[in-house]
Amino acid sequence: MFSRLSYTFREMWASLRRNFTLTAAAIITAAVSLFILGLTLLVLRGFDNQLSQWSGGVELIVYVENDATPEQLQVVRDALESNPAVIDVDKLEYLDVDASLAEAQRLFAGDPETLQLLTAENIPTQFKVVPQPDASAELLTEIASSYKERLPKVISVAFPSKQIDVLSTLRGVVQFVLYLITLILLFSAVLLIWNTIRTAMFARRREIEVMKLVGATNWFIRVPFMLEGLIQGLVGAVFASGGVLTANWYWTSTVQSFPPDSGFGAFVVTGNYPQWVVFWLIVLGMLVGAIGSGTAASKFLDV
Amino acid sequence: MIKLENVTKSYSTEVTALQDASFDVAKAEFVFLVGPSGSGKSTLLRLMNRQEKPEKGEVWVAGRNINDMPDAKVPHLRRNIGNIFQDYKLLANKTVFENVAFALEVIGRPKHVIRQQVPAVLDLVGLSGKQERFPHQLSGGEQQRVSIARAFVNRPLILLADEPTGNLDPTTGEGIMRLLDRINKTGTTVVMATHDQRIVNMMRKRVIQLDRGIIVRDQARGVYE
Ligand SMILES: Nc1ncnc2c1ncn2[C@@H]1O[C@H](COP(=O)(O)OP(=O)(O)OP(=O)(O)O)[C@@H](O)[C@H]1O
Ligand SMILES: [Mg+2]
Repeated sequence: MFSRLSYTFREMWASLRRNFTLTAAAIITAAVSLFILGLTLLVLRGFDNQLSQWSGGVELIVYVENDATPEQLQVVRDALESNPAVIDVDKLEYLDVDASLAEAQRLFAGDPETLQLLTAENIPTQFKVVPQPDASAELLTEIASSYKERLPKVISVAFPSKQIDVLSTLRGVVQFVLYLITLILLFSAVLLIWNTIRTAMFARRREIEVMKLVGATNWFIRVPFMLEGLIQGLVGAVFASGGVLTANWYWTSTVQSFPPDSGFGAFVVTGNYPQWVVFWLIVLGMLVGAIGSGTAASKFLDV
Repeated sequence: MIKLENVTKSYSTEVTALQDASFDVAKAEFVFLVGPSGSGKSTLLRLMNRQEKPEKGEVWVAGRNINDMPDAKVPHLRRNIGNIFQDYKLLANKTVFENVAFALEVIGRPKHVIRQQVPAVLDLVGLSGKQERFPHQLSGGEQQRVSIARAFVNRPLILLADEPTGNLDPTTGEGIMRLLDRINKTGTTVVMATHDQRIVNMMRKRVIQLDRGIIVRDQARGVYE
């Protein structure tokens, strides 16, 4: 068992060194593609944070004071529900103090000072309103504009700004382009790893011939090559992860130094989402390596 | 030990490398395969360790039909068969010791077995002083001895030799022949393809002669022609 392991690692290491240039190309391609994928995931997450307030077709938010009583809230709700032709009553959602605080965490992630000012005692709660699909925008505006005067404890009613519309279009474009680039680069990484392994096997065809003649199993012959590809993918993923974490840290600290009204306050990613991205980059890197080397090792074993 | 029944092998529609070949080789027997170039000697040897599969007929080795054998079992078959070639097939970047040890290493033999068996077999082939040399530092005869050591180190039941003396001068070739004879006397079955008339006539072993893929003679204690 031990001699098998040491054989496997010795051969793998020797081969990695012998094929240095090709190996480097494969690792760099894997790293770049995974880095772009990581950035894509973070950027999309930033978009989602920025857009989170308005997700799910919400087009109107009614902010209510923190100290509204259940009866007062019911009055607001009744008013909203009295217009089922314009407002989709089933999708009407009330965010209480806890839910509003949680949302603020995302919305003001890049603006810690504002975030600090919001507490369970002062944060407004909110009704999120999704209009009926065929309701006219004017009608919605008309109804909503009367709320502030007519209803108790309503602070304000908000509509999505033009900026939000632009952002959500932009998100779609960014998602499409970056995913496409990632896919193409990942595919070239697989091809490069495949080619590295093919070259490595060709360089060792005499050894492989002897191994087959003396009765080494195909798996025994294959495993060092597959491991070699796996490690190329893994090393690429580690570089990519380092790059992604650094880029995210740099961007977050940049956004936090923007003025509070920059409009980018939510455009950062915090919490353990970056770790989650890194985890998947590593899994994907190893997968890319395993696919590239596994197919090569099976195909070229009959040398 | 080895049995062929009506074996036919062709590489393409025109080339029939072997036609309806049948014979038996008993345990510890020594057999020469002779015949002109292209008559099918190498093909016959390759059929015996499943480097090739026949179109028709059956090949039995050590009591098992090796044509029906699943691919996954072939490595285990080959561990019982040593192979020797005209061009030695040694690995240039490994020493004599490492070349022989390699054969044990890649079938998962533990280190202590390797440390014990490799010097023993190198001693048997008369190379104990040259363990640390590389193949290019050896004569052709010595290189062939290394390849024999590698083929024999796992104590196979059968040794298949394809023109092992083909690249060697007569005296050196004779030395290799005596070594193979000695190995045969330990109970190992040996099948050797050769063009070496002198050696065949000197040894007076069983001779199977091929001509264009057909067995034309199978003679105990035979001569080359
Ligand atoms: N891999 C192959 N593909 C196609 N034809 C082959 C192949 N190997 C051998 N042959 C053909 O099969 C026939 C028998 O070849 P084989 O190598 O068995 O002969 P041989 O008796 O070993 O010859 P030699 O004495 O020259 O080594 C020849 O006609 C050869 O051209
Ligand atoms: Mg031949």
